[in-house]
Amino acid sequence: MKLSELSKKGGLKAINTYKDKEIEGVYISDMVSDVITCTKANVLLITLQTHKSLIAAANLVDVAAVVFVKGKKPAPDLIELANKVGIGLFTTAVDAWTLALKLVELGIK
Amino acid sequence: MGSCRHKWEMADIRYGYLVVEGCPKCGGRSSFFSEEPVAPVDEYREGDHFWIYLGSSQAVKFNLKCMKCERVVNLDDMMGLMMSTCNDPQCKVAQIGIKEGKGTIVYVALCADSSHTSGKCVSAKGIKALNEYFNQNIKASGKKIVIVPCDKCCNIDKCEGIVIADTGLTDMY
Repeated sequence: MKLSELSKKGGLKAINTYKDKEIEGVYISDMVSDVITCTKANVLLITLQTHKSLIAAANLVDVAAVVFVKGKKPAPDLIELANKVGIGLFTTAVDAWTLALKLVELGIK
Repeated sequence: MGSCRHKWEMADIRYGYLVVEGCPKCGGRSSFFSEEPVAPVDEYREGDHFWIYLGSSQAVKFNLKCMKCERVVNLDDMMGLMMSTCNDPQCKVAQIGIKEGKGTIVYVALCADSSHTSGKCVSAKGIKALNEYFNQNIKASGKKIVIVPCDKCCNIDKCEGIVIADTGLTDMY
């Protein structure tokens, strides 16, 4: 599923301008050391973590986009960094578990 | 083996702490990886140095193994990775970023001895394998990762970057 379609159906609010990539999987983590060992290219990363190191890690493994749950919004410097490396940023009011259930419902695995 | 077009995967993944120490006598800094349940904070004497705990963060260590020829590249000499944001024109890391151009992000592989008094840094074969590993998995067109050893930094205390580490998650300890 394309990121734009997933955003619409999943109720995700875009924070920046994103490339409409095909999402090939989902990973949930708040630890950057976990992101570099467990995440793959074109994955949608779900997290509460809003430190810039998240983008440093996500870029290294070619994450397609990051969703900040529970309404968390990153600082402008993180958004600037994500724009530089081409990672889409989204936010949602729901928690990680609720979003995961929604994504499974949409057929994302 | 020598002609193998390696397909790397992470191996021997270990989670632990990256502990940073400083010597007030010489101003040097050192770091090591600990797999203890809690990061060690001991102060101790080592030759002319007196190492004092400066901080720690949760981190991960790994080696790289080729799925085709089973060659393993040991990365014990790498303490972490830092995304470079350095724009000092005198810095070799910044120069590499400028030379590579848009779409390329430079990461610095950090060794244990930031002062490089021993003359050692992350091995050349480790740097080569890291570059191959992270670039082999990229799907975005025009995107490239360049990993360089930290002895290329103009000054490890001044070279700007974002270290990939889970700082602050265990401050309650």
